[in-house]
Amino acid sequence: MFKKASFLLLIVGLGLMSCSKDPISDLSNEESLVYITNHDKSANFTQYKTFSIVDSVLIVENSRAGTSLDDIDRAMLQRLITNMESMGYRHVGRKENPDVGINVSWITNTYLNVYQPLSSYYGGYWGGYGYGYPNYYSYYETSESSWVISMLDFKNPQTTPSGKTFNAVWEAQIRGAAIGDQKLVDKMADSIFGQSGYLKVK
Amino acid sequence: MKRIIIIALFLGSVLPALAQEKPKLYTIASPFERYTHYLATARFMGAVPMGSFKDNYIDKASFQNFSLSIEWVLRNSPLSVGGEIGSTYFEKRVPRALYEGSEGTISAVQTRTVSQYPVEVFSNYHFLPRNSQVQPYVQISGGASILDYTVYYGTLSSQDQKVRFKYGIGAGSKFLFKKDGTLGLDVRVKYDGTAYKYDYIDKGISSVNGSIGLFYRWW
Repeated sequence: MFKKASFLLLIVGLGLMSCSKDPISDLSNEESLVYITNHDKSANFTQYKTFSIVDSVLIVENSRAGTSLDDIDRAMLQRLITNMESMGYRHVGRKENPDVGINVSWITNTYLNVYQPLSSYYGGYWGGYGYGYPNYYSYYETSESSWVISMLDFKNPQTTPSGKTFNAVWEAQIRGAAIGDQKLVDKMADSIFGQSGYLKVK
Repeated sequence: MKRIIIIALFLGSVLPALAQEKPKLYTIASPFERYTHYLATARFMGAVPMGSFKDNYIDKASFQNFSLSIEWVLRNSPLSVGGEIGSTYFEKRVPRALYEGSEGTISAVQTRTVSQYPVEVFSNYHFLPRNSQVQPYVQISGGASILDYTVYYGTLSSQDQKVRFKYGIGAGSKFLFKKDGTLGLDVRVKYDGTAYKYDYIDKGISSVNGSIGLFYRWW
């Protein structure tokens, strides 16, 4: 009898264990968004006056890359420009020697480290240079899409045997289930600048 | 919800046995007095976080806690020994805030959770004879907690799963529905502590839980 009872207890126990909870199912789209920003602590942002921005969003999906400029991409680029301008930077074309460049990418990644497969894709747009990239984050190891917006220092290029490289002096990641929600694009762009007050040059 | 169904099924399998009246052939003491017998209890618990666990991580009471125990009520002794398995869950939502770390600034709505599946052995000391209708007891328990610590930043999660030592001390009472019966109510207040240190939790997980349960005994 007791044997039977313990067996029953075991079964019920397994039943308890297999109940999985979903504590985040009640999050709204806006609440699901996570903004992560980081910057080069040694960078002096007041030295930068002008910026340029990519003309389309770089799409990186595991080992494939391309560009995209649909409504949401256009909205994101536009809002980033607005924010950069209100931080005190002047928007110039990329041929006019901008002090910093803004890269915008939409990354879908199933690797553990989001950054490893990235470095080789940036070169093209900015004229075939190599690319030095500080490895800022590594602790969310999931497979998902995210916006990655970075500011490259064109004013102080690093010279390496393989050519010139530019350091990313600021980087923002927007992650979460609702990053493709066009209604939230303005909010997303405003938020990453809102929490990066050190970017202000005026 | 699933859990409640499981417990209901468990009780459902037990209740029909009650209908069979045992013929009273002898006027000697109840078998519950004469033999070591078994006692199974299903409990529903409300738990309140305590100490630094409460201060640093989750201060919200939880009502998503359940346990099942089975025990031997020993012959000629005020003691019973047994095992208990359970499920406890704490959760707290923190509105959007900035979190500074060496990796940068994170802005997120945080959802803090801790689930535990404790597996314990325990011993009860009963103050009154074991067939009295009210049976107050004190309890000491120890075992392992299979725990899952997950902090969600928005929909992203940072998780740690471990098996850690846990212990508990409690006091409660059993109330038999009828004299010499097999079914009764169990009320218990228990302090639970789990040795665990990670992220926000620096001095273990501690809580006080009050439970109400149903028990069935047989020999």
